[in-house]
Amino acid sequence: MLSEFSAIEGRSAGFWKLLAGLVVLVLMGAGSFVYVEIHGHAVTGMNNQIVWGLPHVFAISLLIMASGALNMGSMSTVFAVKQFEQFGRFSAFLSIALLIGGLTVLMLDLGRPDNMLLPMIHMNFRSMFTWNVFLYTGFMTLCLLYLWTMFEYKQYKKLIGTAAFGWRLVLTTGTGSIFGVIQGREVFGSAITAPTFVAISLTSGTALGILLLVYTFRFTRRELDDRLIFGMRNALIFFLLLVAYLLVVEKFTRLYDPASYDVESWILTGPWAWLYWLGVWGIGVLIPLTLMFNRNIGNSVNGVLMASAYVVIGAFCFVAHTLLAGQSYPFDLFPGYTISSAFLDGDAGRYAPTLNELLLGLGGVGISGLIYVLGIRFFRMLPEKGQVPKGWELPWSP
Amino acid sequence: MTMDRRSVLGLGGAIAAGVALAPGLRLIAAPETSPGSVAASTPGKRWAMLIDTSRCSSDCSACVSACRTENNVPLFGDPERDIHWIRKVELRDQSQRKAPVSLPVLCNHCEQPPCVHVCPTEASFIRHDGLVLIDKHRCIGCRYCIIACPYKARSLVFYKTKPPKDTNPNVPIRAAGVVEKCTFCAHRLDEGKLPACVEACAKADKGAMLFGDLNDPKSEISQRLLKEKSQTIRPDLGLKPHVHYQGI
Repeated sequence: MLSEFSAIEGRSAGFWKLLAGLVVLVLMGAGSFVYVEIHGHAVTGMNNQIVWGLPHVFAISLLIMASGALNMGSMSTVFAVKQFEQFGRFSAFLSIALLIGGLTVLMLDLGRPDNMLLPMIHMNFRSMFTWNVFLYTGFMTLCLLYLWTMFEYKQYKKLIGTAAFGWRLVLTTGTGSIFGVIQGREVFGSAITAPTFVAISLTSGTALGILLLVYTFRFTRRELDDRLIFGMRNALIFFLLLVAYLLVVEKFTRLYDPASYDVESWILTGPWAWLYWLGVWGIGVLIPLTLMFNRNIGNSVNGVLMASAYVVIGAFCFVAHTLLAGQSYPFDLFPGYTISSAFLDGDAGRYAPTLNELLLGLGGVGISGLIYVLGIRFFRMLPEKGQVPKGWELPWSP
Repeated sequence: MTMDRRSVLGLGGAIAAGVALAPGLRLIAAPETSPGSVAASTPGKRWAMLIDTSRCSSDCSACVSACRTENNVPLFGDPERDIHWIRKVELRDQSQRKAPVSLPVLCNHCEQPPCVHVCPTEASFIRHDGLVLIDKHRCIGCRYCIIACPYKARSLVFYKTKPPKDTNPNVPIRAAGVVEKCTFCAHRLDEGKLPACVEACAKADKGAMLFGDLNDPKSEISQRLLKEKSQTIRPDLGLKPHVHYQGI
């Protein structure tokens, strides 16, 4: 018999401090938005070659994690992994919180945020952005319904949970396809971009779920069976291997094509190479895998937490690298020629994020955090004890 | 009135469902007419440009200056954020077998424009005479079109500006946060004039830019494109651009 659900008490000084910290983040984000609105995007680090900067990195990272955060719910509802059923509510609610945070940043970084409702009125169904409007709102609707069925109408849980699972795969495919369908920039335009985004959402969503679950249980002094975290660790290892596979296949395919030598050597050795090697591969894949495969570290909850933190940072680096390296690569208007102009043709795009971009992005994190904290404070999102079902054994450990 | 948590969740779900479905049901009706209505354009035409680079010299930027004056395009002194509807590009052959080439690059008014394909609000659209234009009132400043354009032909207005004293009233005023680009001087075409850059090039005794209607087989541009060798930028992308070059 699994434990009852209850809201957290939320009376401790720590709770109020956390809440205050998140409110400060949101206010700083709001202030930054107003500042950019008054002065124009000239006060950001963006320019006519790098038109999507740090706010987009935050927004897309949050959106990817929103999709991945549904993992625990999907694993129990769709794949009948019973021990994760108790985290279904947490999982669906976290998805909603992250989605709202990401979308807020995305909308507030528009050049004309006062026109943000226009995509609802004038729609171009050939645009990936239009598809994403439906995908995001549809995902939020399904997550809310999923949550509702977990609270009240359990007979529909399987149906809605399965629909949400399918939707999230399409959703992240849509997010990845924003770049995957672009043929005009050499770094973008790959059919493997969308599946890689899906895989990154699986790793980062699971990792963020682990982090939040463990720290929420610790701060609220609730019991959480370590074996549950180790079960999630195993899933995280599998997802990381999937990411590594997709990254290798993409590079192998591109490097096989002589036409891609220039762009690939630029990616692997150019100005953003550090982000690729250190951020995407090092922090995002190799370090967490090494930690989790280590017999001592991988079998301690703190070790898994550390690996999870690396995975989340790695996902952020992956999005940053995709966006910034993709936009920085100089336009090759006339192959075989060296070009120059007053519009900086032939030059790699330069980008140094400004403080207001960072604050706007962190404001989105603050919004997601605030929704999450208030959600678990007022709704019965979490079990009083995180237990494993009787007779369940962890199938594998390092 | 108090609401229990079940009602809050139910209401939240209902609102989210409404938001998701409202666009599909078109509860808020979109205007029927497209921004580039037939009456305002030159129907039946298919405008295109041919640039003879052998007549274009690196010390001449008459086309760029004329464009800036005609379309009130300011210079902010910030090369990375300046607005460029047309710019002069210098080409140097990497094998150093050919002489350097100087040429103007502008929006190619493609037949398959990726900027129009990706624009979520149809702010970027193709007019009936093939011009690719932007409805500034409909642009939300998402910049996806800038990402999609392979010619670097679009600029975001990064700075807030005031119209200059000698502003051309025939051109829409500039709005910060929206994207803009070359219009082939649509306002001039509608009056039967040539684009400002083409006119300036002819005045400078260069005659490097030829502008005309591809739908008219007797037009000079149709004849020259038929008989003389020319090329477009990045033909591999299949966008069918309508700015052609000779002498590269």
